[in-house]
Amino acid sequence: MIKAIKNIINKQPFWGYLFVSPWLVGFLVFGLYPIVMSLYYSLCQYDVLRIPQYIGLRNYEELLFHDDYFGISIWNTIYYLLIRTPLVIFGSLLLAVLVNNAVRGIKYFRTIYFVPSIISGVILSVLWMWMLNPEYGLINVTLSFFGFDGPLWLIDQSWSKPAIILMSVWSIGGGRMLVFLAALQGVPKELYEAVEIDGGGWWSKFRNVTVPFISPVIFLWVIIEAVAGLQVFVEAYVMTKGGPLNSTLFYNLYLYNKAFDDFQMGYSSAMAWVLFVIALIVTFIQFRLSKKWVYYSGGK
Amino acid sequence: MHIIKNIFIALFGLAVLFLMIMPNAEEKNDGKTHVKYWYVAGKEDDVPYGVIKFNVSQDSVIIDATPIPWNEHEKKILTAILSEYPPDVVTLVSTVPKWASRRALVMLDDAIKKDNFDTTQFYSALWKEMHYRDRVFALPAYTASFAFFYNKALFEEAGLDPDKPPRTWDEVREYSKLLTKFEGGNLAQIGYIPPYGNLETSFVMSLELDAKYTLNHGTKVNLTSPEIVRSFQEELSLLNDIPVEQINKFKGGFGFGSQHGFIAGKVAMMILGNTFIDQIKTYNPGMNYGVAEIPTFEGKETKSSTGVWWYAIPRGSKHKKAAWDFMKFAVSKDVQLQENLTNGQSLFPTNIQAATDSAFLNYHFAMKIFDKEMRHTESKVICPLVHDVFWREYAFARERVLYRNQTPQEALEQAQRTIQVSLDKAIEYDNYVDKELKFEKL
Repeated sequence: MIKAIKNIINKQPFWGYLFVSPWLVGFLVFGLYPIVMSLYYSLCQYDVLRIPQYIGLRNYEELLFHDDYFGISIWNTIYYLLIRTPLVIFGSLLLAVLVNNAVRGIKYFRTIYFVPSIISGVILSVLWMWMLNPEYGLINVTLSFFGFDGPLWLIDQSWSKPAIILMSVWSIGGGRMLVFLAALQGVPKELYEAVEIDGGGWWSKFRNVTVPFISPVIFLWVIIEAVAGLQVFVEAYVMTKGGPLNSTLFYNLYLYNKAFDDFQMGYSSAMAWVLFVIALIVTFIQFRLSKKWVYYSGGK
Repeated sequence: MHIIKNIFIALFGLAVLFLMIMPNAEEKNDGKTHVKYWYVAGKEDDVPYGVIKFNVSQDSVIIDATPIPWNEHEKKILTAILSEYPPDVVTLVSTVPKWASRRALVMLDDAIKKDNFDTTQFYSALWKEMHYRDRVFALPAYTASFAFFYNKALFEEAGLDPDKPPRTWDEVREYSKLLTKFEGGNLAQIGYIPPYGNLETSFVMSLELDAKYTLNHGTKVNLTSPEIVRSFQEELSLLNDIPVEQINKFKGGFGFGSQHGFIAGKVAMMILGNTFIDQIKTYNPGMNYGVAEIPTFEGKETKSSTGVWWYAIPRGSKHKKAAWDFMKFAVSKDVQLQENLTNGQSLFPTNIQAATDSAFLNYHFAMKIFDKEMRHTESKVICPLVHDVFWREYAFARERVLYRNQTPQEALEQAQRTIQVSLDKAIEYDNYVDKELKFEKL
């Protein structure tokens, strides 16, 4: 017996498995198990404290065909995703282009632009609640200084989503900017020289050299930001609770309300799986579209 | 390499051994029963008065009080119950049925009967809230009482008699017009704002109109009853045609303390809780204000509503009997009275004898009014099984009406539909679970 144990210990795979076991256990317990269970619970009525009751596909049926808030929350989320994603990607790219130039003190500018992205979502939301205050907020006070009557932002149903998007653009200088910066520095200089010889200006360089060369990185961020956009939650949870008139009731906020206010874990599990399918479809579409605009210099 | 392996195996063995023989950090060997009590508080050293007094009143039980932050406190307690390592006693503020229906609380009926515990010492609406399926699961700890506050100085400025607060909602509407001021097209002062205050005006109105929120023993939602539809219409009319966006912009400048709309003298009339007496004393001590009964409709009685903090024993508690003894002690007249006198008016007693004691009534002229409102209070628990869904849908419907997005009838029909779907599912689930799970007894 002891010899058999010694044999196992002395073999190399044992040590391999032992060293990856923390991750393996973590994944199985905190990753795979909840995923599998959420699929089962999505077919049940379940409130955590009591036993689940199997009800088949009724949660999905109710969500997709009878729930007044499903359509509203999907529309709010898609709106956020469609407006925010290009804004933050091109904003970050623009910032990366600016800090890519070898000007004096560039290291400090890079740090300054990065700072907003390290502030936590909750603190950022509270900060922006004050910035967006229609009466005393910094934005409206500044607008009034120039003679404009600022909107009501978070308390106006037509401005609440743009207000939240505006806030998220605040942190465009974070990780995205750094990755773009790295990509920009990998663009061959001789191609820029070729454009110059052909008489092209900065726009030609940007459009015909920079963008194609970094298009795989742009594509990566489009995927990441689209999935992140589908998961928007903190801003609405802290700032608006979904109001006014459900104009900021994003899908994940609605899911959270169902799970942790109403304890309808079965229903919210079904919502999570529907969100997963939506994310899958969005990503699939992006992959199909990417063939038309993403350029891989070494071929695929 | 061989040495490293041996060291690793030895350390691993030692760690396992240590975990096996490690004494439980919670165990205390002083021969006393240690009861774990979780309560929501802001400060760690803020031990409740009842705990201090109970611990010195006898020498067999020690209440180990642990403050937990307000944020996500329900989820923390829920997790503790699920992990089968719950506190022995807790205070919570959400509805008793929400927890009792999930078999998360210990049933107290037998203990009440055995100890001949006097249940008439509490305000009736609060005591009613401690029930689920006609069984008792909690004791009311403390509450808030609401009344109608008005700014006497602003009344005088508007030419109104400061000693005659409005008695009816029609008067509130008329007074509000006189008390509302604009500057440069923006609101500078307002008489009454329905969506600003501690109670939903429409809900209070509906209670005064004797609305029946449910039918068929609570299984049918009745939000479209004429009384509830009327309460929404009446509330909307209190806006006096001022767009709610404009009011919200005005409200956006309000905050807490000295920035509160009423304390800052920007809102002339409000339904507020008893805590505002102390807040006014702190932030605007010279304020000339009055407190009156909540207005009603001609020929109807004033009505109020409130929430309540309650003590309960979570499922799986190790010291139920000691927890029960502590709960009884904490809700007794003397403890509640002294707790209130010690803490100012941040709490309102659930115990009628404490609230009507002369020491309590003499604290402020409005205490008699708060006591009266407590006697006219009705529970906010309309659909116990889907309480949160009910109030979220009610709030959404109210918002749609105040924003003039829907008529009261349309908004309430939509809310009723959504609540009914959730309620039907919850009843079905409750009946299913009832066959499998039983309530834990003391």
